[in-house]
Order: sequence, then C-alpha cells, then structure tokens
Amino acid sequence: MSRRSLGLRIFATIVFAVVVTLFAALIYSAFQNDGKPLDTFVPSGPSAQEIQNLVIPVFAIAGLVFVGVMGAVLLISWKFRSKDSDDPEEFPEQVHGRTGLEIGWTILPALILAGVAVGTVATIINLNKKEDNAIEVQVAGQQWWWQYKYDLNADGNFDGPEDITTANEMVVPAGRAIQVTTTSNDVIHSFWIPGLNGKRDAVPGLRSPLKLEADEPGVYRGQCTEYCGLSHANMRMLVRAIPASDFDAWVTNQLKGHAADPTEAKALAGKTTFKALCAQCHVIKGVNDEKMKTATVPLTSGVAPDLTHLMTRGTFAGSIFNLYDPVDPNDPSVTLPASDVAAAGDPGAALTGGTVNTARVNRVSLEAWLRNPNAVKPNYAQGGRGMPNLGLTEAQIDELVAYLETLN
Amino acid sequence: MAIIEAPSTDQLALPGAVESDYKPAGVFTRPKAGGTGWKSWLTTVDHKKIGIMYGATALVFLLMGGFEAILIRVQLWSPRGTLLSANAYNQVFTMHGTTMVFLVVMPIGAAFANYLMPLQIGARDVAYPRINAYSYWMFLFGGVFLNTSWLLGGGADGGWFNYAPNNGVLYSPSHGIDFWNMGLLITGIASLAGAVNLIVTVLNMRAPGMSLMRMPIFTWMTLVTQFLLLFAIPVLTVAQVLLMMDRTFDANFFNVAKGANPLLWQHLFWIFGHPEVYLMILPAFGLVSDILPTFARKPIFGYPFIVFSGVAIGFMGWGVWAHHMFVSGIGPISVTAFSLTTMFIAVPTGVKILNWTATMWGGKLRFTTPMLFSIGLVTMFTIGGLSGVTHSVAPADTQQTDTYYIVAHFHYVLFGGAFFGFMAGFYFYWPKVFGYLLNEKLGKFNFWLMLLGFNLTFAPMHILGLQGMSRRIYTYDAGYGFDLWNKVATVGAFVLASSVFLFIFNIFYSRSKAKSLPPVGADPWDARTIEWMIPSPVPEYNFDPIPTVTRVDDFWYRKYGETKDGKLVRIAATEDVVQKLSDGKHIHLPSPSYWPIVSSFGMPIIAYGLIFNLWLCLIGGIIVVGGLYGWVLEPPDDPDAAHDDHEPEAHGSDDGTPVAAIAEGADSGAVATEKEPETVG
Repeated sequence: MSRRSLGLRIFATIVFAVVVTLFAALIYSAFQNDGKPLDTFVPSGPSAQEIQNLVIPVFAIAGLVFVGVMGAVLLISWKFRSKDSDDPEEFPEQVHGRTGLEIGWTILPALILAGVAVGTVATIINLNKKEDNAIEVQVAGQQWWWQYKYDLNADGNFDGPEDITTANEMVVPAGRAIQVTTTSNDVIHSFWIPGLNGKRDAVPGLRSPLKLEADEPGVYRGQCTEYCGLSHANMRMLVRAIPASDFDAWVTNQLKGHAADPTEAKALAGKTTFKALCAQCHVIKGVNDEKMKTATVPLTSGVAPDLTHLMTRGTFAGSIFNLYDPVDPNDPSVTLPASDVAAAGDPGAALTGGTVNTARVNRVSLEAWLRNPNAVKPNYAQGGRGMPNLGLTEAQIDELVAYLETLN
Repeated sequence: MAIIEAPSTDQLALPGAVESDYKPAGVFTRPKAGGTGWKSWLTTVDHKKIGIMYGATALVFLLMGGFEAILIRVQLWSPRGTLLSANAYNQVFTMHGTTMVFLVVMPIGAAFANYLMPLQIGARDVAYPRINAYSYWMFLFGGVFLNTSWLLGGGADGGWFNYAPNNGVLYSPSHGIDFWNMGLLITGIASLAGAVNLIVTVLNMRAPGMSLMRMPIFTWMTLVTQFLLLFAIPVLTVAQVLLMMDRTFDANFFNVAKGANPLLWQHLFWIFGHPEVYLMILPAFGLVSDILPTFARKPIFGYPFIVFSGVAIGFMGWGVWAHHMFVSGIGPISVTAFSLTTMFIAVPTGVKILNWTATMWGGKLRFTTPMLFSIGLVTMFTIGGLSGVTHSVAPADTQQTDTYYIVAHFHYVLFGGAFFGFMAGFYFYWPKVFGYLLNEKLGKFNFWLMLLGFNLTFAPMHILGLQGMSRRIYTYDAGYGFDLWNKVATVGAFVLASSVFLFIFNIFYSRSKAKSLPPVGADPWDARTIEWMIPSPVPEYNFDPIPTVTRVDDFWYRKYGETKDGKLVRIAATEDVVQKLSDGKHIHLPSPSYWPIVSSFGMPIIAYGLIFNLWLCLIGGIIVVGGLYGWVLEPPDDPDAAHDDHEPEAHGSDDGTPVAAIAEGADSGAVATEKEPETVG
C-alpha cells in the first residue's frame, strides 16, 4: 500500500481543492447573467417565468440532495478509513442490511419526487392554456433560417392578402400573447427563445403549439436547438418586441409591396439583377410574388426568405449577421464580422417603414454574403438547400446592395 | 445454431475416433485446442480470451472516440473555431457519440460480462461458446466497417440519434449514414447473440448451490443488462432496416412528402435508446457493488434491495423513452405521463446510491485504486442522476434539452458513472485476468487525474447549457458568454486524455515490474466472490473442481465465519481455500472453431455491397452461408481433443438449484464431478 506517498497526498489535495473551487465558481457563474443573451435564468415573459418558478425549487432540492450525498460519502470515507495501526484480521461489524432503513429511503425520495410531480403537472397545464386574443404566427423552420407567417385577420389562413410573411426576426407587440405554431419545410428544427419560453420542435408534417409573450420591448435571441444538418450552428433567430403602437405601424408597412422602381440608377440596375438571378427563390412583394406562386422553385425546402422588407430587420442569413452596425468597414481586420449580440443591429426608423440609414448598413457582411454565401455560412446549395454562389461581379454586388437598401 | 448445440450431449459427444479425420467442407481440419499463439485468438471460443478481446478492442475504439472528443473540444476552444469545417465537425461529433456508446461502453460491459460472469457463477464457459466468438467478431467487424467510412467518403453526419428525415438521402447524400446504419446493424447482431448466450448461461450454468439470490451482484446486473439488450436491440434493428430500405431502395418509411411521420424514428430510436442507457450503466453498478464490500470489509448493505432496484430499473427503463421527446410536439398528456415515469425511475437509482453509502458506513475502508474509482462512481453518478431528475421535470426540460446541460448530464452518467465503474473493474480484476497487479501508486494518480480532468471537462457544460449554449454546434459567436467555460472544458479534455494515457502506461509499467515481484496469487484483495478462489491468471478450465455454493459471497465465508452478533473470525487460511493449479487434463472444454470468424467476416462485405455494388452482397452472402454451413456440419466437440471423461453426469446438486453441467451441452461436454463435497448448512 502506498498510502504514505506524500506526492500523492499533495496531488489528491490539489485536485480536491480545484474541483471544489470549480463547483463554487460554476455556481457563482450561474448567477452572472449579463452579456448572456440566451441565458435560461432570465425570464422576460410569463411562460418563461412560469418555468423559472418551477425550476428554482427543483434545483434547490437537487442541490440539497447533492450536498447531502457528497457530504455523507466524504464524511464516511474519512470516519471509517482504515488506519495503519489496524489489525488486518479485525473486522468491522458485519451488517447485512436493515429493512426498515431500506423502506424508509425508498419512500423518502418517492415523496420528494411526488412533491416535484405536483408542481410539474400544474406547470404543464398552465403552459398549455390557450390565450384569448393571441396573435397567430406560424413559424416554419427551413435549412437554415426561420420563416414567420402572421395570420393577422385570424381566419386560419396564413397566406391571405391581410397576412404577413417575413423571416429570421419575429416582430411582436410587447405585453401581448403570441400563439406560435411550429412546423418545418424540410428536416426537424427547434424554435427556442429562452427568454420567453422553452423550445418546441418544428417537425415537418406536424403543427405544434408554443405560447410566447414578452413583458417589455426588447430583443430576445434564439438558436435552433434540434440538429438540422450542416449549418445547424448558424440557424439563429430573434424576437423583436416593440410597443403596441409601433407594432401597428410595422404591420401597416409590412402589408405594402415594392412595385415601384427605385429612383436611383444604381438601385434600378440592382433590381434588374434581382429579377434575373435572385427572383427564382426570393420574393419581393410587388415584384415577383405573383410569378412565384406558379413557378417551380428548385429548392428542397421551399422558397428562400421573403425580402420585401429586408431593411426593417436587423439581421440576415439566419440572423448570424447584423444588417446594421456595428462593423467598421474601414477596419481591414474585420473579415467576417461577429454579430453584435446586444445591439442586434437595430434597424432604427426603417423598422416601421421609415428611411433606411444607409450609412449604418453593414456592407461588409452583406457584400461578403452576396460574393460567396458558402464562404461565410456553410450551406448545401447544390442540393437545393441554401444560397448558391451566383458569381456576381463586384459591380453587380454594389448595385444589388443599393437596391436592397431601398427595401424598407 | 443453439438448437444444434445445446440439448443433446448424448448423441453428439461421440466417443472414439469415428470422425476424427472429419474435415468440414472438405478443406479445413478443426483448429487444435490449447494453442497460445495469435492464431489461437482467431479461433478461440474461450470466454476469457473473448472477454479480453472485447476489452482490448474497446480500448482501441476509446482512443479513437477520445481523439474525436479532443477535436471537438479544440474546435470549441474559442468563438469561430477554425480547426474543423461545419461538415467535418458534424461527422466528428456523430462518430464520437456512436463510437463511445456502441464501440466503447457497451463492449467494455460485454468484456466484463464475458470474462467474469462465468467465473462468478462457477461455469466452464458460456452456454454457446462458438456463438460467443461469433458475437465478438461481429462486433469487431461492425466497428471496423463503421470506421472505414472515414476513408470512403466521410463519416455519418446525422448525430448518434440520427433523426429522420435528416438521415434520408436527400439531406445526407454522402454514404456516412449508410455506414452508420449498417455498421450498427452488424454490431446489433453481436449484442443480440451475446444477450441470448449470456442469459442462458446465467440461468442454466450456475454452480451447484448457487441460487439466483446467491449470485454476485455483477452477475445479476449482467442478467438484467442482457435482458435489456435482448428486447432493445431488435427495436433499433427494425428502425435501421426501415432506414436502410429508405436509403438504399427508395422506400418511404420516413419520407414526409409521402405522408410519413418523422416522429416514428424518434419513438423507435428511444424505445431502444433509453433502455440502452441503463444497459450501459448497470454493468458498472454491478462491478461497484462487488468492489465496495471488498474494501469496506463488510457485506453489501441490503443485497436484495440492490438486486431488485437493478431489476426495477430494468423494467421501468422501458417506460420513460419519450422524455427524450418532450419538445417534439407529442402533446401535453404524453409529456405529463413520461415526466412522471421518469421522475420515479430515480427512486430505485437513489436506493442503490444509499445502499452503497450504507455499505461504506461502519466499514474499515481501504482506499485502493478500485475503491477510489468506485467512490468516484457513487459521487459523480449522483451528480448525473440529480441533473437527470431536473430534466424529468418536463417544463424545465424544454429549456434544457439539446443544450450543453444535457451533454453535461449524460457524461456524468456515462463517464462519471459507467466509465469510472469500468476503471474500478479494470484495476480490481487486472490481477485475476493477467496475473499481475497494476501499480497502486500510479493507479491513485490515475484516479485523481481522471477525476480532475473529468470535472474540468464536463462540470462547466452544466452552466454553458443553462446559459444557452446549444448542442451540436460547430461554432459560436463572441458575445454569448460561452468563451470562458469552453476554454476550461477544453483544458479539462486534455487532462482527461492524459489520465487515459496514464492508465495505458500503468498497464505496461506494471507488467514490466511484475517480473521481479512475487506472483499475485488467487486472492490479492481478500475478496468475496468465487472467481477469487481460482488461480490468477485464470486457467483455461476455470474451476477444478466446480465449487458448491452455500451463500452470497461464498468465497468470503470459506475464509471467515460470522458469529451471531456479527463478528467475523477467520476459519481458514486463504491458501487452504483457494484452488491449486491443476493440469486440467480430465476437464473437457469446448473446441476452437474457424467458423465464427469466417461467417461473421461476410457481414461487412454484404454491407459494403449494399452501399457500393450489390454484387458484393453475393460474395458476402456466400461467405456467411458457407461459414454457417461449415459451422453446422462441424461436430460441437473435437473428438481428437476429447479427454477421457465423457460420461454425461447427473451432477450433484444439494438444494435443487440448476446444475452447471446440464445445459453446458455438447460444446462444453461433461464437467468433472465435485471432488470435495461440501456440507451445506
């Protein structure tokens, strides 16, 4: 036996200390929620709050059991350790078991769990209650972005003239319930805005309900959480909650089309390019929406994001790039701009149909995306999933950006 | 095959040399028994050699799966990692999970089951020795086949759970998923054949006197595990055959456009997948339940409760699968039902933890390496169990599922639980298997280093997940607050890897040192169960004679007597109780055979054929059928190798429990009679 080895003792002590410190640091870290936009411990809506109210006591109970078992095992290990002075032929009392104890510690955890079960069932029921006067939004996952269809006139049809189709960002009025229905156009995805509710898988052929409501205006980030193939990591989304009055303005603007030609020559050239190359998959209301209804789209999953009101959004390409700010185009080190999570590229006045502040547009990312989408976001265009490299010239890219900037 | 081998010793055990020049298929003579070179490993049917091969193969796959894990961790070291492309990362995490589950943890369980279980019940071998060899070769070829995908167009990229419809040709056009699918079909046959074999062995081949409630707990857990495999593997096989039809022959089982419901795959996969979790952890529970009492120097606390909680886990494990699908849209009623069943499966698991703790209470704990790893299991598995309870709470799970919190959870269960248990088993049984002890000092460093690396790697994932880091993402952005803990986890992964290498170093170091040390003897740990009363390393014939078992921990009570007030007194010196090495000449052992390796070799060829060219299937099919043909015609016994004792015996059993000899059947032949009849109280 090498129980006397000093080196081993020191090493074991260090490991023990590191592990205890690590656990303490992790618990401390769990309470540090700033700069963590996907933190599940920062509920910003009633459903998330409901879950939080259940989770906290469950974690507390689990924590107590954890401390109890760890404490017991460590204490027993210390108290009953054999010593060098022990007679090897002298044995501890041979206890084979105590039925009373066994029954006790079968029933005790069962009782604790029964308590947890009551809270769980109650929460499941609450989370599944339908809200009156909720806005119906159908959320469809697609490789690798999200499409939203608003049934604003509540007629059960999401494609009527009174309805809105948009992508990547779900704009909602703060303080009003949204009844989401998730579905998918290809593989299974999962819609998750941790600040507002738990996740719900988007399964092709199924329609699954999920309630969302944001207490306050703000940007609530999300991430696809069901592995959905190549660019699963790059499939993000956000809910942009705005005051109710702004929401009405947003709706009014979204219902408009962009039939009129842009006045600027460069933008007009961009529109021509759009119609020639992009319009096979992307829709701009007033430009090619009627044609798209009859065209056979060569995509596995269905159409590409509706671009009618591109500039009212703060992000693009599965919400992994900001459409505005904060990238400095003069900084050559910024080759692939990180999306600024906190600001989420605020579209400013453009959100509700105001003028686009072209000086703030994140041209670096937008041009990189048009130049070669696969280089900045892996996709599978040859298999009909994702945006192909259209081989655009720099001039064409410039013109396209000028055109896209008019799509408020 | 079993039908031919098992029942009729009388007809098949041919006396004399009537067929001694018999050449199956006219070409091969039967391999000679008792060889020791590398060829003997190819044809062996010895459960011990097969167990060692399972273990060694699993350790090689562990290094591969570990390498994949390191790639994952390096990629996630910082935001926007550039080591792996999205495509490569998806393949690496898929193959990491698949390898660790199917080619590491399950086979290490099989290694212990194969090697130990027959020893713990006092059997000569398993019930169907050739099928046992066949299982191993199927596992090996399946695993190798799966990994050849790296050289033939890339690994599977659908995740180890491989959800439909992402697993279809449309969304995963490379052959990776075909390799995944058919590789696991092949290893599934291995598991299934192994399950039947081991169940029959436990139920029919126990030593006289060893009633079910006298079996060592590891044997009990092996029995439960094999039943789980027996019923779980076919479900996966069904799902995989459907997928194979979809991918290879354009069927529409998972084609949503043709009206399929993709949740079908999830149900099938998890009806297999959740019992799978328990069948990975229960062997480790069994090992620890035998190790803790040895080093606490007192019996396991509440033997029947430990056994029945294991059985209860085995049963309840079938009623919880949809907790993997809480957010799939299965509806609130199903969610509620599965939430409740999942919570209550924590009860039998908790009973085990408390019984282990109570076993230590009042003992004289000797902190050997196996004991440290066992305590490691008790504590680390508790963390995994508790996080498991937090996601049995379905609303909580809607926030946690598919985040790193889940990754943390199941690594605490499968690494902190199963693998720590296996490490305990390795250190504990090494002297029994190889005849030398692993260095204790290095072993303890090994334990502490592994404990450190394990916690550094996986503990931070709890927080990463709760703070929103999604699983299976090859990249993440700065600004989400994931940077710090990912760095810690990556450092931890390297520490963990170094602890695995320290273990491997210890194997070779101790082996070289052992030459100058006295032999370990039969019972280096002062252990309790009967496998410790035979010489180390175990002779080919295992026991001579087969002992008669009178109680749980039979070997222990041959050494020690217990007074009425629970005091222990030595009644016999260990040297007098353990068996001496005999020449074993009078013991009939199953003969080696070429056919298991031959017929299993055809399987991957069929699988390659299904992927690349159907003509290959013909070649593979001929090999499989030819192998089985030779197998069928091969007499179960090699008359040349037969020993003198060929009388089928009415083997003495004093309390009516099953007798070892009867079901050993033709393969094992007759077993020597008990030479020292024991008085049974």
